[in-house]
Amino acid sequence: MAKSRTKNRIHAIWHTIQGNSQLKVGLILLAVLLFVAIFGPMLAPYNPNRLYSETFSAPGGKFFLGTDNLGHDIWSQILYGASTSLEIGVIAAVISAVIGIAVGGIAGFYGGLADRILNEIMNMFLMLPTFFLILLIIATFGSSMMNVMIVIGLTSWVGNARLMRAQAISIKERTYIKSSIAIGEDRFSILVRHVLPNGIFPIIANTTMNISGAILTEAGLSFLGLGDPNVISWGQIIANGKSYLPRCWWICTFPGIATIFTVLTFFLLGEGLNRVLSPKMDANK
Amino acid sequence: MKINLKRIYISVTIGTITGHVLFMLSDAGRGKRMKKFVLKRLGTGALVVLFSVLFNFVIIRLAPGDPTRLLAGKDNPNPELIAGLRARYGLDKPILTQFWIYIKQLMHGDFGYSYVSSSTVWDLIKTRIGPTLMVSLTGAILAVLIGTLLGVYAARKKGEKIDIFLCSISYLFDSTPSFWLGLMMILLFSSILKWFPTSGMYNLRANYTGFAHTADVLKHLFLPVTTLTLINIPYYFRIARSSVLQTMSEDFIMTLRATGMSERKIFNKYVMRNAIIPTITVFGITLAYIITGVAMIEIVFAWPGMGRLMLDSITKRDYPTLSGIYLLLSISVAVMMIVVDVVYAWVDPRIRY
Repeated sequence: MAKSRTKNRIHAIWHTIQGNSQLKVGLILLAVLLFVAIFGPMLAPYNPNRLYSETFSAPGGKFFLGTDNLGHDIWSQILYGASTSLEIGVIAAVISAVIGIAVGGIAGFYGGLADRILNEIMNMFLMLPTFFLILLIIATFGSSMMNVMIVIGLTSWVGNARLMRAQAISIKERTYIKSSIAIGEDRFSILVRHVLPNGIFPIIANTTMNISGAILTEAGLSFLGLGDPNVISWGQIIANGKSYLPRCWWICTFPGIATIFTVLTFFLLGEGLNRVLSPKMDANK
Repeated sequence: MKINLKRIYISVTIGTITGHVLFMLSDAGRGKRMKKFVLKRLGTGALVVLFSVLFNFVIIRLAPGDPTRLLAGKDNPNPELIAGLRARYGLDKPILTQFWIYIKQLMHGDFGYSYVSSSTVWDLIKTRIGPTLMVSLTGAILAVLIGTLLGVYAARKKGEKIDIFLCSISYLFDSTPSFWLGLMMILLFSSILKWFPTSGMYNLRANYTGFAHTADVLKHLFLPVTTLTLINIPYYFRIARSSVLQTMSEDFIMTLRATGMSERKIFNKYVMRNAIIPTITVFGITLAYIITGVAMIEIVFAWPGMGRLMLDSITKRDYPTLSGIYLLLSISVAVMMIVVDVVYAWVDPRIRY
């Protein structure tokens, strides 16, 4: 019995994936990406930090995607850079999800004064020029990977908070919450045990989208020279290759394609999940 | 230098008058709620500006490195000179007094002096706004036109090959970093095809005048604007496509069909009118970010705009300029957002506020 239920569930999930092209393509791309991020160090033919004597060598030949001005192997650098991008994207998005869920949940569930104050804060954050704020903070306080993740997370939670608030407001009115209140369960425990877990699905979809946003922001920051100088990042490779552009086109081109690939993956996944997880999107199929 | 205060007063007056006209135009009950809504948004805007001012003040003080040391010169830090500079910039006063002085300066439109170049922050910003708006306004208008047209077209051909193709392309461009697309445009159109110049705003050597100068600027303008347009088209494409589909599935469209009205008339008269509202909102929000949205592209094309100024002040650690830009941006974004919200609420009575 239990076995067939699991089987049914797997079948249902498979069916959903089949009918949802964004999710399907997104999952395939994600598999490739995870493979590269995990096994990248093994796949890389050369040490990405070593300077080889063949500078500016064109793609093909000994170096698959060529080398840069100092003799770095571009292909190995791209493979190592994948984990930087993923790490920053995922952690920044998770930070923004946690803050968003907490703020939105409290505002929507408790209502009243707490809601008014938190809502005002959300409105304020919506009016801030986010990218420039990130830029200013990073330029002032240094560009370690930690700072970059935290700052991106701290400035991108408003979308999540608004979704969570709407969810909490609607869930609050359901019968099972009302009965929990009636039997005298603690309000905070209702929020944590019932409201948040039931309302979290749109936030999962939105967080997946936020990963792609965070990766793009990080790429932009490191292109401006505000990335962590101690790690390999695609934005930095592009920034470096910019000076050698017309002749040595390969330095810029390939890290850019890698960025597009990664951002696209999470973008498609987010869109696909959105169609599955949030009921409102049905009309737009 | 100082911002023209008269101009600010005039714009505030115009804003107030516009608010009252809106109030009178709408019927009384709605007008009252509208007025309350406008006031509420203005309150949020004021909070944002206040927060930005406070944030700016704090961040300059927290920035590593003593500015007076920087101004006095690194090699020979003369203590008397440093003390003099501290007194001159008011850094020897208590922190609250400093904050008060800072606010008073801002009220007079004084953003302070740049650490690096010998001019005021406002003078630096003033010369850069024009070129930035040239790129960003052109790009925004082109993107909204092309994106909306493509979106409506894709919605009408929903599920067909051309729709799937356009959707895939929109995902692809949405995932592309703008600076990388700019570099690729330079590579393709400047280096390989040699159709357009790589960077800058005009040819410095040619010294054109009159019509030739305009043509030269346009030629330099083409690649940055194209990049910006390509990056922004996907937003408008998806908004237009999904809101057309949304409207087409509404009950009143079904009713109209049942009356036997022609499909073309339904579409032009009823679907488009409703479907265009989200596009207007997104366009408004784009206008709010009109100065920052183009920064990365300006940097790639060495366009002499705000983005370039921003990058220069970052690399030279010119904090007063950075925070001046930031302050100006946050004020303009807040103002534009309020305008968008109010116009939106006024245009679409269904919106709850």
